[in-house]
Amino acid sequence: MPAQRSRLLIFGLLVLLAACSSDVHQPERVYRHALDGVPTSLDPAHAADVYAGTLVLNLFDTLYRYRYLARPYELAPNLAADFPDVSEDGLVVTIRLREARFADDAAFPDGQGRLVTAHDVIYSLRRHFDPATRSQGAWLWRDRIVGLDDWGRQGADPDAPIAGLRAVDERTLRIELTRPFPQLVNTLALPLSAIVPAEAVARHGREFSVRPVGSGPFRLVSLDETRAILKPNANFDRGPLDLAAEGFDPVRHGALGLETLDGRRYPFLDRLEVHFITEPATRWNSFISGREVDNVMLPAEQAARVLVSTDPLRLQPRFEGQFHASASRETGLVFYGFNMANPEIGHHPDPERAQRNRALRCAIRDGFDWEARNQVFYQGLGEVFPGVIPPFLAEFDQEMDRRSIQHEPAAARERLEAHGWTEQSLPALVYGLESSIDRRQMFEQFRAMLGRIGYPPDRVRSAVFPSFGEYSRAIRDGQIDVFLMGWTMAYPDAQYSLQLFYGPHASPGANMFNFLDPDFDELFRQASVMPPSPERTALYRQLNRRVIDECVVIGSLSRLRVHLWHPRILMLPDREAVGGFFLRFVGVQEPEA
Amino acid sequence: MSTVAGRRVLAQLIRRPLGLLSLGVFAAYALIAVGVWLGWWGSAWFELAGPMWAPPSPEHWLGTNRLGQDILMRAVASTATAFEIAVPVALLSTLIGALAGGAAGYFSHGWLDEFLLWLMGTLDAIPFYLLVVALAFALQGHAWTMHLAMIAVFWTTTARLVRAETQRIRELPYIDAARVSGLAPAQIIGRHILPNTMAILLVQGTLVFIAAIKVEVVLSFLGIGTQDSISWGLMIAEGAQEILIGQYWNFIAASLFLFVLVMAFNLLADQLQDVLDPRSLDARAHRHA
Amino acid sequence: MTRAPDLLVFSLRKLAGAMPLIVGVTLISFLLTVYFGPDPTHALLGKNPTAAEVAQLSAELGRDRSAPAQYLDYLRRLLTLDLGHSMVTGEPVRAMLARTIPVSLLLLLPGFVLGTILALVMAAVAAWYRGGWVDRMISGVSVVGMSLSFVVILIGLQAVFGVWLGWFPVRGWNVTTLPQYLHHVAVPTLAFIVASLGYNTRFFRAVLVAELNSDQVRNARAFGAGPVRLMLVHVIGNSLLPILTRTLFSVPLLVLSGSLLIESHFGIPGVGKITFDAVMSGDQPVLMAVVGLSAVLFVITVTVTDLLCRLVDPRLRQE
Repeated sequence: MPAQRSRLLIFGLLVLLAACSSDVHQPERVYRHALDGVPTSLDPAHAADVYAGTLVLNLFDTLYRYRYLARPYELAPNLAADFPDVSEDGLVVTIRLREARFADDAAFPDGQGRLVTAHDVIYSLRRHFDPATRSQGAWLWRDRIVGLDDWGRQGADPDAPIAGLRAVDERTLRIELTRPFPQLVNTLALPLSAIVPAEAVARHGREFSVRPVGSGPFRLVSLDETRAILKPNANFDRGPLDLAAEGFDPVRHGALGLETLDGRRYPFLDRLEVHFITEPATRWNSFISGREVDNVMLPAEQAARVLVSTDPLRLQPRFEGQFHASASRETGLVFYGFNMANPEIGHHPDPERAQRNRALRCAIRDGFDWEARNQVFYQGLGEVFPGVIPPFLAEFDQEMDRRSIQHEPAAARERLEAHGWTEQSLPALVYGLESSIDRRQMFEQFRAMLGRIGYPPDRVRSAVFPSFGEYSRAIRDGQIDVFLMGWTMAYPDAQYSLQLFYGPHASPGANMFNFLDPDFDELFRQASVMPPSPERTALYRQLNRRVIDECVVIGSLSRLRVHLWHPRILMLPDREAVGGFFLRFVGVQEPEA
Repeated sequence: MSTVAGRRVLAQLIRRPLGLLSLGVFAAYALIAVGVWLGWWGSAWFELAGPMWAPPSPEHWLGTNRLGQDILMRAVASTATAFEIAVPVALLSTLIGALAGGAAGYFSHGWLDEFLLWLMGTLDAIPFYLLVVALAFALQGHAWTMHLAMIAVFWTTTARLVRAETQRIRELPYIDAARVSGLAPAQIIGRHILPNTMAILLVQGTLVFIAAIKVEVVLSFLGIGTQDSISWGLMIAEGAQEILIGQYWNFIAASLFLFVLVMAFNLLADQLQDVLDPRSLDARAHRHA
Repeated sequence: MTRAPDLLVFSLRKLAGAMPLIVGVTLISFLLTVYFGPDPTHALLGKNPTAAEVAQLSAELGRDRSAPAQYLDYLRRLLTLDLGHSMVTGEPVRAMLARTIPVSLLLLLPGFVLGTILALVMAAVAAWYRGGWVDRMISGVSVVGMSLSFVVILIGLQAVFGVWLGWFPVRGWNVTTLPQYLHHVAVPTLAFIVASLGYNTRFFRAVLVAELNSDQVRNARAFGAGPVRLMLVHVIGNSLLPILTRTLFSVPLLVLSGSLLIESHFGIPGVGKITFDAVMSGDQPVLMAVVGLSAVLFVITVTVTDLLCRLVDPRLRQE
């Protein structure tokens, strides 16, 4: 009888599957993109990470974007017709929109997508300040646009006008700023700023985050914890691809086969699959098997087996010709931070103790071996640099003093001794980490390095957190003394990393260090309203030095992103500023007839 | 069970080849663990002793991991961790199971029995790993997190078995005699009932020991197990990614250490069952896989 | 023959008796997952929040209310089947369950069915030749299977079949056609069988041996029943009760515990994966729905098992 029952079950199963597979139509041009994390919400107001961002930029429109191939990254108009007109005093910004249409959705009358207007842009920015949105991006524009913060505080009345955010006509937007905001256009290229239609938000409610409706090049077909499937948005028309305008360089890009796409209307795909694969080794195997995904970001552990050199980028003979490859520096940085709010190691009202604490932090910094970290976890492909202005930025200083990133265990011991730190008096450190094998190994490496400057291992305790959310909470609550943090620059401007040390951003804000320094704050405020200029660069560098001198941070390192993909796919992938923007330009080689 | 009876069981075990073998393996592991506690070996498991991913060599018998830590030393140190988890969990959950089962069985169909049955049913109705994971999470940061999570889940099986056995024993004439002679229920349970469930407790303790070791591996693998120490579960989790890029030693070493110990205990449980009560069915719970 | 109304009354009584159990399960899991569980607030905040924003979001999520108020609210929603939306993704919990449960069933069913059948066959062979070398070999294999950690089995099989041999996908659930399904389900099925075979074989063998020694079977043998007929009709038929009980009882546990590990390791979007993610992120609505559902499933299983036992074994009807 059990056998009979199971035979019935299997039979039922087969019938079920046959029903599912009756309409199998393999689309011609498919690109299967591997992403190294899982997006949680596709509502642009929540798209603060690279994973959600990658999808949001393809489902929605932003006013600006980054040029496909140009490096360093260059802004370009996207939904905006051109760069904005900015008034003499820098306070009034006017932006014209081009014609665009939302994708068809039941939220619109007759299910037909309607034209995008300046009111949609206003709605999309405004809703960040409505508490019900649970926005993760409001802070970008906080205190920047006249009347916007007050509008949110006073109940987010949809009919109340906002002085600083007005539609001059259907296609013209006027923004009035409280003070000059040189990074405004950058923020308008972020996924967080993407344009959403009010009808769809109203109709889908909380579900909008899994039923996105926008005017981007693609629309969502399905989404689960492991992949998203997108198809082209029939209402999307941004004209043909102009390779030259995107920064095409025959020397650098000639071998990629992009020319065949030039002058054709994009997007070029019939189907875009984005697979979320968190584990590096699994991602690699999914790629190398050739069956599951078409691209991979090379896991560092594989570097030696795959690459001969990175500059110029050359693959091992057995991969040469089999894959296309590109390498670029990440637009971000990895560093260790100290919790300055802990008087045992950070700020202290007694100036003498404050000095001793500084010596302690500097000794830990000197005892940390970036070279070893780079070799073990990044196969030597990371670039270590002093402070928090990463090398991909124009403000990066080649000539900078590199002592703060050198491994000086002897100097560290001397420093400890000189300031009266003994094995008995060294404070117990809580090292926070997210629960993962990599992070745990980094902790063990850190503890062993500290051991070499005389820090007893039992006084470096780990506190493990199961998720990034819990980890951030612990940092914000001051439970952690030493934390490892990756900070991705949302736009290429050093202001974005220097704000991590700005006093008013202290916990629960982005200043996880709780670094409080009136001089720093004053200089930061000065720099924040300045347009790019040598003076501003000088200020940025001064701020950077301040952070280094105070030993608030052990850092930093920028990883090298090596992308590999099957030559059949015509593209130049990017996970950084261009991020999701490149997917609209991905083509698939037509099979030989 | 008196010490005499205990010695008799031990003697019977040693007379059987498999019993002797499993006891021997257990003794060897216990020796390894004791050595770690006394600092004879394995205490430098966290030191970066050699190059990254070194193959086995005279200095590093099983090679090194990504950080250059000695894999054998880590596997040895993990043995102590396994005992630190499994021994208290086995003892305490057996003890709690015995007391709860004894009380429930003695006062069967009373309010205490109803309450304990409700509690056991509730704990059993929540999916096993979900409960352990949620418990481990809720108690996060305490040194005994994992122990408590496992004890909370493991005591119920023992309690059910003891309860049934107690219900049977309670009807025997000598319990009546004890009751008439004015002994309090606690004394009757403690002196006359529980000693007679020793066979169940011994076998259950062994099974819980195995389950605790296996669950630790799963929890550590999921990232919510052992925290400030080293364990086979952590090594296997390290190995899970390494194995895909051709580094096997971490995975093999930890898996073997784990397998041999669990295997020995499974055999021991079998032999014990044979010696104590050849008729009994295997009560091993499927879900501890 | 039991009459239908009797059965109905019996089932209803059983289900009513299970109410305290459901209350217990929901209460304990509420305490664990909401009261002591992770706070999702910080995962939902932007990169640079103010204290006011933190407080506001916490209130939005209902985290600032008292525990009894939250629990009562949860019970009310469970009763009205209003499962709400995931705190993290915003997806309706009902839609998440509808999406993930079929995946888990498709994933686990082949391993469950094949594993049970295989274990029965092995147990029958071992029981038939009990004491002989075949029996000893099978019991040896069982002990080895029981001693392997599920995690080790998963990783090992993935490495062998996914990477070295390259026969099956390393991960994922890219299933729209039957061949794709068989392709993806192969390694998890194998893992499941390896992990459960030892325990099941051993249990079934013990049951079958007890039955083989019974007078009834001796009689049948004396009347010349062949080994296959004897095993299938008399032995397995008569020991259906414990076999059925065990098999049925493993269903609710299997759906979550089994799928949790397999799915999180193989990256398969089933109910185990969303549950694990929800535990980690403190996604209370998802967790409470899953726990509530599995408690109900558990009660139903207990009731069905009792019912079947009454049907199969007339002796129980007297109770």
